[in-house]
Amino acid sequence: MEDKNPISPHIQIYNWHISSLVSISHRITGIINFFAITLIALWIASLLLGENYYEYTNSFLSSFFGKFICMGIIWSFTFQVLSEIRHLIMDLGYGFEPKTTKISGLIVLIGSFPISVSIYAIGRLII
Amino acid sequence: MVQFNLPANSKVEKGQYYKDKTGSKNIRKVNVYRWDPSKNENPRIDTYEVDMDNCSSKVLDILNKIKNEIDPSIAYRRSCAHGVCGSCAMNMNGKNGLACTKSHSELDGDIDIYPLPHLKVLKDLIGDLSTLYKQYESVEPWLKTSKINDKENIQSKKDRAKLDGLYECIMCACCSTSCPSYWWNGEKYLGPAVLLQAYRWIIDSRDEDRKERLKKVADELKLYRCHTILNCTNACPKGLNPAKAIAEIKKMLATA
Repeated sequence: MEDKNPISPHIQIYNWHISSLVSISHRITGIINFFAITLIALWIASLLLGENYYEYTNSFLSSFFGKFICMGIIWSFTFQVLSEIRHLIMDLGYGFEPKTTKISGLIVLIGSFPISVSIYAIGRLII
Repeated sequence: MVQFNLPANSKVEKGQYYKDKTGSKNIRKVNVYRWDPSKNENPRIDTYEVDMDNCSSKVLDILNKIKNEIDPSIAYRRSCAHGVCGSCAMNMNGKNGLACTKSHSELDGDIDIYPLPHLKVLKDLIGDLSTLYKQYESVEPWLKTSKINDKENIQSKKDRAKLDGLYECIMCACCSTSCPSYWWNGEKYLGPAVLLQAYRWIIDSRDEDRKERLKKVADELKLYRCHTILNCTNACPKGLNPAKAIAEIKKMLATA
């Protein structure tokens, strides 16, 4: 039987804070990374299967869409790592003051972009 | 299962509009969540035009003004009006807080007042907190000691200082109802308010039941649903830090 009383609005009305934004992004990037690892595993598996297969995945990854996916994966990993460092520090019991969480959250959110761009750039230099 | 959408009977509709009758130039629109249990209707948002020239500084003053001068049918909890009792906890412009300590000058634009999020609404701004109280009872919030003496149970200054930032909690439920984990797992996850109280007794040097208390709270759902979203710490009207208290419990369990 459905309850007669309504449930008060929650996610519809509650303000986003930097810390809650980082938290949900951590979860989303975690799911993305799960699939990203699968993709990377397939890439390596294609190397084992032979030149033709490898060429095929390679051409996909160097297409515009493929590059977009690569950059996305780099960002998602970078974000995850930064956010995880933040969590590790918190697990030690530090950085819980509202101001500190705001700053550390901003570092994770904003910092992930230049770091992923530089990882991509360095990667291009090596290859 | 996580339910992001509100059930059909909880969908909020547009309500009545109460135009200002005082002819004041300094008008502010206040949107208030209304639900009447005696009618078979969905909740609605009523809008009141409030004369701010004759209104004191807090959000609770606005509500009192509406109740006294515009619409006496509006229902909300309030008692001390000084941030001590925790009765007037509600959601104002998307953030939980006490209406009696929140200045309306801090809020931008029209003021939106909702009950505390994700609770069974009893009437208007009154939510049902009985689950939270049951959970509070489950952590046995009282001193357990074998010492029975006529004198005081002495505590060093250092041990007493450990209770600072914990004993001030007034159980207004602003933190617990701001927590997405508590929204989705409110039946099983204890939530920040109750965990802060649990920690308050765990860390008390006079309490002899620390091990049992820790064992009881060490549960995948009861404790570890906390994902440090930190909405609780951001919401606490007393400036306490439930997230840190939970982290300390986790730390004690990890290092015990």
